Amino acid sequence: MSRRKRMLENLDQDIRDHIEAETQDNIARGMPPEEARYAALRKFGNVTRVKEETRETWSLVWLEQLLQDIRFGLRMLGKKPGFTAVAVLTLALGIGANTAIFSLIDAVMLRSLPVENPSQLVLLKWGARNAPNIQGYMSAGDCPTDMRRGARNPSGCSFSEPMFREIAQANVFSGTAAFANAGRLNLTGNGPAAVIGGQLVSGDFFRTMGLKAAVGRLLDPADDTPSAAPVTVLNCGYWQSAFGGSRDVIGRTIELNSIPFTIIGVAESRFTGITPGSDYDVWLPLSDGQRIGTSGLMRWNDRQADVAFWWLTIIGRLKPETQLAETQAVVSGIFRNEMLHGSVPLFHGGGMAGPPASRPGPLAGDAAVRREMAMGNMPAPMPLTPGMGPIEAPKKAPKGAAPQAAGNKPTATSAPPGAAPVGSPTTLSTAADNPELTLVPAQSGLTGDRTRYSDPLYVLMLSVGIILLIACANVAGLMLARAATRQKEMAVRLALGARRTRIVRQLLTESVMLSVAGGALGILFAYWGAHAIISFVSSNQTRPLGFVTGIDLRVLGFTVAISLITGIFFGLAPAFRSARVDLTPTLKDGEGGSASWGHGGKWFSMSNALVVAQVALAIVVLVGAGLLVRSLANLRSVDVGFDSHNVLIFGIDPTLTGYKGPQVDSFYRDLQGRLSETPGVRSASYSMMPLLSGGLMITMFHWPDTPQDQESEADMLGVGPNFFDTLHIPFLAGRGFNASDFEISASNDAPTPTSAATPVIVNQAFVEKYLGKENPLGKRFGESAGDARGPASPGYEIVGVVRDAKYNDLRREIHAMMYIPQSAGAASFELRTAADPRAILPAIREVVAQVNANLPLFDVKTESEQIDLLLFQERLVARLSSFFGLLALVLACIGLYGLLSYEVSRRTREIGIRLALGAQAGDVLRLVVKQGIVLALVGAAAGIGVALGVTRYLTSMLYDIHANDPLTIIAVAVLLTLVALAACYIPARRAMRVDPMVALRYE
Amino acid sequence: MSTKEQREHIALLQGTLDLLILRTLLLGPVHGHAIAKAIEFKSDEVLQVEQGSLYPALHRLIKHGWISVEEGTSENNRRAKFYKLTATGRRRLVVETSKWDKLAGAIARILRPAEQEGRP
Repeated sequence: MSRRKRMLENLDQDIRDHIEAETQDNIARGMPPEEARYAALRKFGNVTRVKEETRETWSLVWLEQLLQDIRFGLRMLGKKPGFTAVAVLTLALGIGANTAIFSLIDAVMLRSLPVENPSQLVLLKWGARNAPNIQGYMSAGDCPTDMRRGARNPSGCSFSEPMFREIAQANVFSGTAAFANAGRLNLTGNGPAAVIGGQLVSGDFFRTMGLKAAVGRLLDPADDTPSAAPVTVLNCGYWQSAFGGSRDVIGRTIELNSIPFTIIGVAESRFTGITPGSDYDVWLPLSDGQRIGTSGLMRWNDRQADVAFWWLTIIGRLKPETQLAETQAVVSGIFRNEMLHGSVPLFHGGGMAGPPASRPGPLAGDAAVRREMAMGNMPAPMPLTPGMGPIEAPKKAPKGAAPQAAGNKPTATSAPPGAAPVGSPTTLSTAADNPELTLVPAQSGLTGDRTRYSDPLYVLMLSVGIILLIACANVAGLMLARAATRQKEMAVRLALGARRTRIVRQLLTESVMLSVAGGALGILFAYWGAHAIISFVSSNQTRPLGFVTGIDLRVLGFTVAISLITGIFFGLAPAFRSARVDLTPTLKDGEGGSASWGHGGKWFSMSNALVVAQVALAIVVLVGAGLLVRSLANLRSVDVGFDSHNVLIFGIDPTLTGYKGPQVDSFYRDLQGRLSETPGVRSASYSMMPLLSGGLMITMFHWPDTPQDQESEADMLGVGPNFFDTLHIPFLAGRGFNASDFEISASNDAPTPTSAATPVIVNQAFVEKYLGKENPLGKRFGESAGDARGPASPGYEIVGVVRDAKYNDLRREIHAMMYIPQSAGAASFELRTAADPRAILPAIREVVAQVNANLPLFDVKTESEQIDLLLFQERLVARLSSFFGLLALVLACIGLYGLLSYEVSRRTREIGIRLALGAQAGDVLRLVVKQGIVLALVGAAAGIGVALGVTRYLTSMLYDIHANDPLTIIAVAVLLTLVALAACYIPARRAMRVDPMVALRYE
Repeated sequence: MSTKEQREHIALLQGTLDLLILRTLLLGPVHGHAIAKAIEFKSDEVLQVEQGSLYPALHRLIKHGWISVEEGTSENNRRAKFYKLTATGRRRLVVETSKWDKLAGAIARILRPAEQEGRP
């Protein structure tokens, strides 16, 4: 820089001297001084250009010119504050909306795992041609798992504990960690009893992740031994909310499921769980799984040593010096060896393809329980949260009960039988199944809650992308109009020798300045927007959202990039238009061309095209929003089959505090009685889970007169006395459950079932599917004699038929369903109240505390709130997309308005002449409105065309409405036309008020 | 009348100005105007340099390190910038000159036969 400065110093002086010397020479040759000077100047050439070119040899010109352009641009923008404000605001809305949605995508999909050096972490995934011959499989939704019965190439990321130990001992990783969901934990010893979520982690977990303690220490391998005293590490957020962030908690004892645990530390604040979206309150050593789980139906017993129970997710940290492929070969070798040669206890091999279990898991006897996971106390931090993910019951559910967890949170399913032939092998897999293990980067392999949010996020990103395009077209239109008024300026510059590229560059600088200003303001909008969305999301969660949003470097980079691209994109057309100015007419003429509009004039102008594009894009966004809003409305008006108003629901799980068998049932009966007598409660009942909670259980049974190996299935729900009366589900035939029904059901749960069939109540769909015109009452089904492959079961007998009601969620069709008398396990109470259900909540808590003060209520809400939660994703998407749709509409109409106003002001003289020659105000009005409406209609037609092609990508998010629903499209087109009319009216009125005298004098 | 010489001004070929400047500076440091004069004079005023174009060329050569600049006093006692050949510039001049000779020779060989044929 300094050399350049030095060199260019005195350039002016040198040139002056040069010309002076030349002049002197000329005079010496006898020219008159005046002529001598003129000749010298002529001989020298264009002084300015020489200076410019000399400067350019010092290459930093571009910077100099840029600064010059920026200074000039600032002056130009400052001169037209109205234009600048509108353009910046439009761009800020467009860029802000994109940044907001991108920051969510960043938080949910892109952010790296909150651990040290996450790129070294790998997730172990298994795959095989057929499902392994295992007895139990649990996944906490850490990775995509396909364990459906008969699935081709099933895969997953859960492993048995012996497998984990073996891999850890192989020492191929610099650290190996395993973890599993600890399920619902009943916390006492810190104020009122509460239910919290915990994760079981192996002793090496925190070291492998490279995490530090915020306070105290983290778990180490010594804590993860059966003889070690139970200890726990708290989540930092939970520590702050539940313990006020006090350092005194270290060393304190809390009780989890009645087992005393000592708090040893708090994990660093960035870590809420390894899997995206997970947020555990506490971490416990793997070895404590058995202690906290013995009372429930999870049957932790023996799991530690069971090679056929897969429940642990495994993460390894690659050694820095080894290759992924090498490590994978070693680990996969261990896995294959175990699968093909490890012996499996005989029970497993033999019990696999047995006859249909006649009873669902949670109620079944010992043998069955091993194979069928319970829904009731499924270990889940949010087991009853409404499903937000694309959860559907597998078409072919696993034998026995197949609880479908809420959301895509933990699912526990029984092993899919049928993979191994009957009576076959005692190994987990055969060589033909080709079991394999692969290492995938933990960053992409651990999907967690990502999958739940990805679809709506992509839809939203698409709509904000379109908004940005509209904003670009809008500002491009403004720039074009402005470029027209600057034609003279450009012509003068070109005439003075400016190169066209130079002018394009200067105009692009101006547009990029606008977009950067828009981007800066957009970040502010994005910050608010993302906050608003996040707080909406978390207000609809029973647990904190495990995602942190914020403006990080990636988001900033994104914003800067789209700002620059936007600036160039919308600036390009006007810039080239300006540089292509035809000099002579422009310099001669004043403002305004002479083409009149509407009379075969240039309909196909750039400005018109831009407005048409805006309208078309707005239509696309609006149609999408319309479809989503109508889907939501359709879902809301679905007939759920029961009365969801004034129902209070809450979950309670006495097994967490040690109630067993019959104690549980009598506890429920006692509580039900007390609750029914509480003032304000009309009636009370309970069920295995509430209706419309996102949870689902399917049972398989044998229907009489069908082939022996054919299984039939039905949805199943355990319910307490008075369930149907409480929820107002009318009986169509038969009766409700009575006390003896419950006794039979409970005793059929015992290891030695009675001979009496379990009474069941079925819905209309069940009758239609299985019975047709046959009288359902007294019909028996699902009996099995019992043999080596499964316990004997007395089957079911239909005692009543009730009206159809929705079970799992609003979208799922009503399936054949059977209600059985509920016994044991966790339950959810339903209270029919006289008035606002929330009002009596304190009284309810008191009643429960009278029975047992250590039992916390969880998932307390009204049924309407429950339905709202279920529709949370639909509501979020509908709300945001209609907001974006309105934004698109407003932007497009501003574009239309801007174009028409500009045209009117440009043609003031023409209008004046028309009026002077006798045109009526109405004619002028028509003239302006006609252009606007034609543009709007052309845009609408184009937009509908695009929408017809694009909306099918929304199909999975729609309900009871076709992606090309004509009503929505017509409504949107009409709405747009009306708003466009309003946008035309203002400039048209201005045109009508033109005073011919003033207009003609104009100039 | 063949003796009357038609005075023609020939525009410089691209890049040749640099060569001419280097050659001019071989005789010693000169200031801007003098360089222009020297080129005109030595070419019998056939080569008319648009004098302004000298300056971007001079700066280009400085940037390449082929010439340097120093302050001095011109013949009419004014402070002026004197341009001087550097060692690199001197070498460059040799290279460029031989390149030019080759080019000129080649072009001459192509043109001459045609010229002879044209004469009866």
